[in-house]
Amino acid sequence: MEEANEFIDRVKNGDVLPMITSCSPGWVRYCEAYFPEFLPNLSSCKSPQQMAGAIIKTYWAKKNNIDPKNIVSVSVMPCTAKKFEIGREDQSAAGVPDVDISITTRELVKMINKAGLRFNDLPDEKFDSPLSEGSGAAVIFGATGGVMEAALRTAVWKLTGEAPDSPVEFNEVRGVEGIKFAEYNVGGTAVKVAVVSGLANAKKLLTQVKNGEVDVQFIEVMACPGGCVNGGGQVIQPAEVRNFVDIRAERAKALYSLDTARAVRKSHESPDIKEVYANFLGEPGSHTAHEVLHTSYKPSSLSK
Amino acid sequence: MVNIKINGIEYSVEEGTTILEACRQNGIRIPTLCWLKDINAIGACRICVVEMSGARSLTAACVYPLSKFDEGKNILTHSPAVLESRKMTLQLLLSNHNMDCLACARSGNCELQALCKELGVDDSSYFEGAKNEFDIDTSSKHMYRDDNKCINCRRCVAACEKYQGIGVIGANERGFKTEISCAFGMDLANTACVSCGQCITACPTGALSEKDDTDKVWEALADPEKVVVVQTAPAVRASLGRLSVIR
Ligand code: SF4
Ligand code: FES
Repeated sequence: MEEANEFIDRVKNGDVLPMITSCSPGWVRYCEAYFPEFLPNLSSCKSPQQMAGAIIKTYWAKKNNIDPKNIVSVSVMPCTAKKFEIGREDQSAAGVPDVDISITTRELVKMINKAGLRFNDLPDEKFDSPLSEGSGAAVIFGATGGVMEAALRTAVWKLTGEAPDSPVEFNEVRGVEGIKFAEYNVGGTAVKVAVVSGLANAKKLLTQVKNGEVDVQFIEVMACPGGCVNGGGQVIQPAEVRNFVDIRAERAKALYSLDTARAVRKSHESPDIKEVYANFLGEPGSHTAHEVLHTSYKPSSLSK
Repeated sequence: MVNIKINGIEYSVEEGTTILEACRQNGIRIPTLCWLKDINAIGACRICVVEMSGARSLTAACVYPLSKFDEGKNILTHSPAVLESRKMTLQLLLSNHNMDCLACARSGNCELQALCKELGVDDSSYFEGAKNEFDIDTSSKHMYRDDNKCINCRRCVAACEKYQGIGVIGANERGFKTEISCAFGMDLANTACVSCGQCITACPTGALSEKDDTDKVWEALADPEKVVVVQTAPAVRASLGRLSVIR
């Protein structure tokens, strides 16, 4: 939502383009250390982890009359860089860190086993409120191209007169290739996008953008090859498996099939998101939205 | 196409196929340690060796592409000499490994452990002698590096360099003293490591692992003053739930 809105604003106001996604903390750290000249291009949106954390400690805390100081906000992530991200500056919407503890998928497995849960025998249940039922757009965030597709679902809807039957699937940005390009005609304007995963590919693309060899308005970067499904915090598959099965593609398949099965596939149609905007944030890009959901970056001087 | 024999049976495979892939295509698994498809074909660990007619020594199957010069050759994938060599390779690795397996993050999910079992390593101290003692690098927020469990396969080095184009870890020193670490023995936290963890998922052993924060979660759950709220990323569900990891 916020990201799609920021993109539309940047295009309308002639701000810095291409806009680059900021959901992957490994990538953000890479940008700060290796390509600081692109920091103005980075979306000011916090990552989903930090946004959810911020909403929990502001809106949800208030709604349930809980002092944010008494909330321990835990995230379960396919990612190790999230452990670093929770300690970043400008990530404390309620005056306390948005997220307190970030554990990986592997650590969750340990906890499930230690707690004696026979996970596979448990019935499926919904998550509790807040933010219980994610949209299909949220589910595909885990695969390379998914963040771009989610943003496009909302941006195209918005730019083409908010028609309920605006396009859902943007197949050109899907798949495990390291660098992908696509062009969309959105309400008469051509929108050119690029999607990269694996930082070696990010380096290639950014160098081309810098040299003027590539002209795009919107770039999605995920630090891990194939995106979060192949994140550094995921269950480890031995080389024996990795050498013969493309785990990036297999895991992505699982997410896209979940997306197809969802009734709500666009972020702006999600009842939870609607509620949070209606009762708390106001409009995307509002003052409150900026206070709670956006952040800032600065160059780092670590040795390369 | 090249016509070869694997354990006496004739096969015809595409030229350029490695011995390892040729075997795999025909239902035979050759163990590997250092080979990681697309990024690490360095023939270093020699766990994948096979006997090939006409060759004077054993051949590393992961890096040997079959060509017309191999026409008619017979490849023995599990002969006594091969099995003995693989076992000895493992015992040599163990001779410089701290073998603290019971308290290891990767216990039960370690490629070295699995191979020792597969190849019947019955004496883990077969080669006694000096062992390196390395400091554990706990400087980063996201992971630690314990070179006392490292087998120098260089898969992490390849992941950092080839997938990520970063290359903040590499081999320092030589021979027995070889250590995978940062330039000038720097702490990982002082390098431009981006904390992606691709090195961890590439590691066959427990040398690299995330920092375990689960105790903090248990503590919060037990604290009556605290309200614990949890969120999960979508990708988590795509690797979770495998019977092999959850009991
Ligand atoms: S966490 Fe990522 S950047 Fe850091 S050493 Fe490992 S592979 Fe390299
Ligand atoms: S796997 Fe072939 S030499 Fe290591």
